[in-house]
Amino acid sequence: MTQHSVTHATFTIVRHYDASPDRVFAAWAQKDRKARWYASHAGRRSQDFTLDFRIGGREHLSIAGPDGVVHTFDGQYQDIVPNERIIYSYDMHLDRTRISVSLTTVELKADGTGTKLIFTEQDAFLDGHDTASQRETGTRSLLDSLAAFLATGDPD
Amino acid sequence: MTERSIHHSTIVIERTYDASPSRVFAAWSTREALLRWGNPGDGWDLAYDHFDFRVGGGDINRFGPRGGPTFRNETTYFDIVPDVRIVSASSMTSEGKHIFASLITAEFILAGKGCRLIVTEQGAFLDGHDKRANHEAGWSEMLDKLRIELLRTQVAA
Repeated sequence: MTQHSVTHATFTIVRHYDASPDRVFAAWAQKDRKARWYASHAGRRSQDFTLDFRIGGREHLSIAGPDGVVHTFDGQYQDIVPNERIIYSYDMHLDRTRISVSLTTVELKADGTGTKLIFTEQDAFLDGHDTASQRETGTRSLLDSLAAFLATGDPD
Repeated sequence: MTERSIHHSTIVIERTYDASPSRVFAAWSTREALLRWGNPGDGWDLAYDHFDFRVGGGDINRFGPRGGPTFRNETTYFDIVPDVRIVSASSMTSEGKHIFASLITAEFILAGKGCRLIVTEQGAFLDGHDKRANHEAGWSEMLDKLRIELLRTQVAA
């Protein structure tokens, strides 16, 4: 019989970007921009990425890891305040197994000529499949990709 | 201009009921039962505009004190393991403003002949409109009403 469990965790990452809040926001809100820093892994761009960026809209991303396991992200937007905040909930699957359900808030605050980004995620990890430290590590990597993208001038 | 803020807070609340996990789960997954116990205020009104309990489905409800502010809650069900757990995400608005977003986990654990229910609400309180103490009081009220609901349906069975 499957042993079921849920582990709850919260983590916060604060980053500074040398770009205005509206440029940082556009990197999250516009599909072609987001695909360049978000929908890629180890240099490979996902072919399965959809984004309907509005309150109630959905997002889908499916990407295969080097070991062939498919990571799938399915999210929906709960609140959007342009250039200020994005709130979404999502689940993650590894192949067909749901490993977590999460609530993420992204806050953008003007910081001199740049932006302070506060990323907070509250997670429910299911049945021992993932951990807060792994998720946080993965998220830091994502926020590094965003920095690299913004440094290129964030072309669309 | 609105002062923007987010306050994150996790509430964990539990109760043990003299009912099987299956009965407690049923009370969480049927509209008629939820109408009786799922109201966080004493004597508040509660109505469902939409109810679709399944993974990927959701519900929309409105609740609030009679003659007072109306709260609207929109929930999506992300994970359902029958008689074991429900994980859902909710957005709460009041008078058109988003006031709260959350992830709610309900775990139904066999405890002797009864059920230990653990509710974890991981919440984001927006722009100072709502606060943790209100939610702690609301959950406490609901889980007390759930006990009455389970006794009522046990007698009827």
